[in-house]
Amino acid sequence: MSIQPRLLNVFLCLAIALVALPAAADDIFPYKVHQTTLDNGLKVVVVPYDSPGTIAYYVVVRTGSRDEVEPGHSGFAHFFEHMMFRGTERFSNDEYNDVIKRMGADSNAYTTDDRTVYHMVGPAAELEVMMDIESDRFINLDYNEEDFRREALAVLGEYNKNISNPFLPLYERMRELAFQQHTYSHTTMGFLEDIKAMPDYYDYSLSFFDRFYRPENIVVLVVGDVDPDKAFAMAKKYYGGWEKGYQQPKIATEPPQTETKKGHIDWAAPIRPHIMAGYRVPAFSASTVDTATLDLISQLLFSESAPLYQKLVVDEQWMDFVSGSYSDHRDPYLFMIFGRIKSEDLVDDVQEAIGQAIADLQANPVDPEKLERIKSHLRYSFALSLDSPNAISGTVTNYLSLTGDPLTVNEVYAQYQKVTPADIQRVAKEVFKPTNYTVVTLSYAEPEKEGEAETTAEGR
Amino acid sequence: MSRKTLVTATLLTLLSVGGVATPAAAGAIETVTLPNPDSPIIAVRLLFKAGSIHDPAGKEGLAAITGLMVGDAGTQKRSYSELIDALYPMASSIEVDTDREVTVISGEVHREKLAEYTALLTEAVLQPAFSESDLSRNKEQALAYLTTTLRASNDELLGLEAIQQVIFDGHPYQHSPAGTVEALESITLEDIKKFYRDHYTQANLMLGVAGGYPEGYVAELEKALGALPQGEPGKLTELPEPAKVEGRQFTLIDKETDSVGIHIGYALPINRSDPDYYPLMVANSYLGEHRTFHGRLMQQLRGHRGLNYGDYSYIEYWHLPPFTMNPTPNVPRRQQYFSVWVRPVVPETAHFAVRDALFEVDRLATRGLTEEEFELARDFLVNYSKLWGQTLPNRLAWHMDSRYYDMPYYIDEIEERLKKLTVDEVNAAVKKYIQTDDYHAVLVTNNAAEVKAYLEKDQPSPMKYNAPPEQQVLDADVAIQKIKVEPDEISIVPVAEMFQD
Repeated sequence: MSIQPRLLNVFLCLAIALVALPAAADDIFPYKVHQTTLDNGLKVVVVPYDSPGTIAYYVVVRTGSRDEVEPGHSGFAHFFEHMMFRGTERFSNDEYNDVIKRMGADSNAYTTDDRTVYHMVGPAAELEVMMDIESDRFINLDYNEEDFRREALAVLGEYNKNISNPFLPLYERMRELAFQQHTYSHTTMGFLEDIKAMPDYYDYSLSFFDRFYRPENIVVLVVGDVDPDKAFAMAKKYYGGWEKGYQQPKIATEPPQTETKKGHIDWAAPIRPHIMAGYRVPAFSASTVDTATLDLISQLLFSESAPLYQKLVVDEQWMDFVSGSYSDHRDPYLFMIFGRIKSEDLVDDVQEAIGQAIADLQANPVDPEKLERIKSHLRYSFALSLDSPNAISGTVTNYLSLTGDPLTVNEVYAQYQKVTPADIQRVAKEVFKPTNYTVVTLSYAEPEKEGEAETTAEGR
Repeated sequence: MSRKTLVTATLLTLLSVGGVATPAAAGAIETVTLPNPDSPIIAVRLLFKAGSIHDPAGKEGLAAITGLMVGDAGTQKRSYSELIDALYPMASSIEVDTDREVTVISGEVHREKLAEYTALLTEAVLQPAFSESDLSRNKEQALAYLTTTLRASNDELLGLEAIQQVIFDGHPYQHSPAGTVEALESITLEDIKKFYRDHYTQANLMLGVAGGYPEGYVAELEKALGALPQGEPGKLTELPEPAKVEGRQFTLIDKETDSVGIHIGYALPINRSDPDYYPLMVANSYLGEHRTFHGRLMQQLRGHRGLNYGDYSYIEYWHLPPFTMNPTPNVPRRQQYFSVWVRPVVPETAHFAVRDALFEVDRLATRGLTEEEFELARDFLVNYSKLWGQTLPNRLAWHMDSRYYDMPYYIDEIEERLKKLTVDEVNAAVKKYIQTDDYHAVLVTNNAAEVKAYLEKDQPSPMKYNAPPEQQVLDADVAIQKIKVEPDEISIVPVAEMFQD
């Protein structure tokens, strides 16, 4: 059992541009990346890696809950992820499962704000089978209204299994407060009333598939024991006939926040107080130093070796955990802080301590040696994380989702190296200000509760 | 119980450069090595045969707190903060995980930082500070886990702990490694020092090292760890047989919640070192392989009926967050249990869900597998189990477990044994071990009194569908909805009483 909560927390004569970029000496990503784009716009990325007999096969759809622009349809990207397992004329749901079973593959999917990812790890010798069954369902998905309605119940079941976690209602409230126009106002799971209404939207689901599940919006990624040329040839064979047709949704821009927003949730069962806070931040970018600076600020404030973390968790022991970071998003999002507090009377002290640490960061330049330690930490952390085809695919997928380019990872780590104490001060001043701030607290209050939802859907 | 962080495993890969678990040369410490010179990463794991079964009565949680006081606390040379600071630039950590039988202290490091890391790791293990401040923090973590994570934040983990408590009632496995609220509060530094002296010995240690370590490294590490007391070489702590469950025993954990989580199970007399385990493994995979879509339970309860998010079965304890896809190594348990996990359902369908789960177990028990089902499940497991060792630290840990169970390398053993199996052997194992007459069931639910009432009445519980399933499903429902559950006993436990004393 784990005491500490685990939070939430990769041709043969193709008439196309073909790139094989060697890993440059100063690039952080140590493996050669091969990529090509088919005539229909489908990008195929192959990363050979020493994992004899095993490959990871990822299909990254650059559509997530961010794309749920029509009112009443929040949660649909995730719901649709479920529907993708409902079968085709060639492979029914059961037959698809049998093929997966025969391969002995690990197969599932997940949805986030910005992407939907179908992932599989299995025998390298089965690459062609994977290409066959995966392309088939992306091109020829076929389900009836009964299947659709039943799967909506499984989504509700997924919501129900999450609902006992207080971070989920906190997260829902945080989003609703922080965003009014942009679709980040709802979680990936969706608003509960929308989830309940899902069974009635069969026709909408067909249009969802028609608009978003198109080759220009999708990347196929293969990592592991794989020959890039053979993989490209197979991709052309199986995905080449897929028709274009992606329709980019018009996602509303969120106007700047102008004042602090606050919320509170009463929890019906005895519980330690929880806190979640968010500061509005710009969209992910690898072309400036700002996103990288936010990552370093996260380390300066909330890594285990950060003085603030030490104060809250180790010395004063006001919290049994606290975390704060920016997770990469395609549109302006939030630097999120959350944690669990020992008792009600400490809630103000905790907020004050966090505010003080932020004020220090804004007022005083950080010791350059401290920054060097963080840069070292990030480099080693990255090297330690690349331990399997699956892990590499996970990393690459993040950047495919953000920019469509797997090599963005190198730009990000190059930006880390450039961050100066002045950048830290500047970004801290720009981001951490009261007009950018939203905070939600949760604590025990006798009966009557309205509980709710989640961040990343666990998988279908 | 384990220390934070994302599960950062390491190392190159799957079967890259070989590595055979080799016993260390004559020496007090049992060592397992998996060299992989091409890997820039080294994994080190120290498995101490010191788990919650060694907690003295009234001091439940002591093994886990001691583990944290070694791996997640200061040393005699530096405070906890200084230790964290020293580990930070290399992005390494010291992880601690205490289960029923063992405590594992582990970490991974880039080879450029191996010497520095090893010095810190051995310092933590050999010279713990045992300070009041670390004790108060670590107790606080354990208390928060019991009172807030389990009781108030995660019904699924709560159910998982509860089913073990009832299956192993009166057995050393009964209490959670995190202990109880009352016992945790009574743990003193003296208790911890004594536990450390008694259990952190060379005789109790199995050392594992994998990856791109230099020549001589393992010997040096063994030498350093030779500073631990010798300890009494001997057998593993003897365990009593779990009490046999008589009839159908229901426990309702009463709490404020919107859904009902269901666990059903009973103790199994075998573990993976037993030949019967492998035919049962195939049958279990057919019934409900964890987080896959091809198990009967998943197909029937979720796929055809939309009851919930997932439905699985087990013949071994499943460690770590239940949403992990593959089993976690280094939680060896000589005694295991069979269980069915029905993820939360809406209250209106809970009665039917219990019946449907029992129906599937009973169907397996009476009908077994066909030749075709057997072949499919067997072939699946042979390939699938290879994925469990994708990272070198995991492979190292599976090797260490195999040593613990005194058996050949588990992942290889699965293939060896499964390839020789016949459908008759699988069905014989099913007959021997799978049944629905005597079991424990745990429901985490609101309004336990109402649930108790309908379970006692045992009236039919017809399903209401928002989308009609196929006719054959409706036909099957006619029998399922009126299955007689006939509970022998139904007890209600308010959630506030869980993990109390």
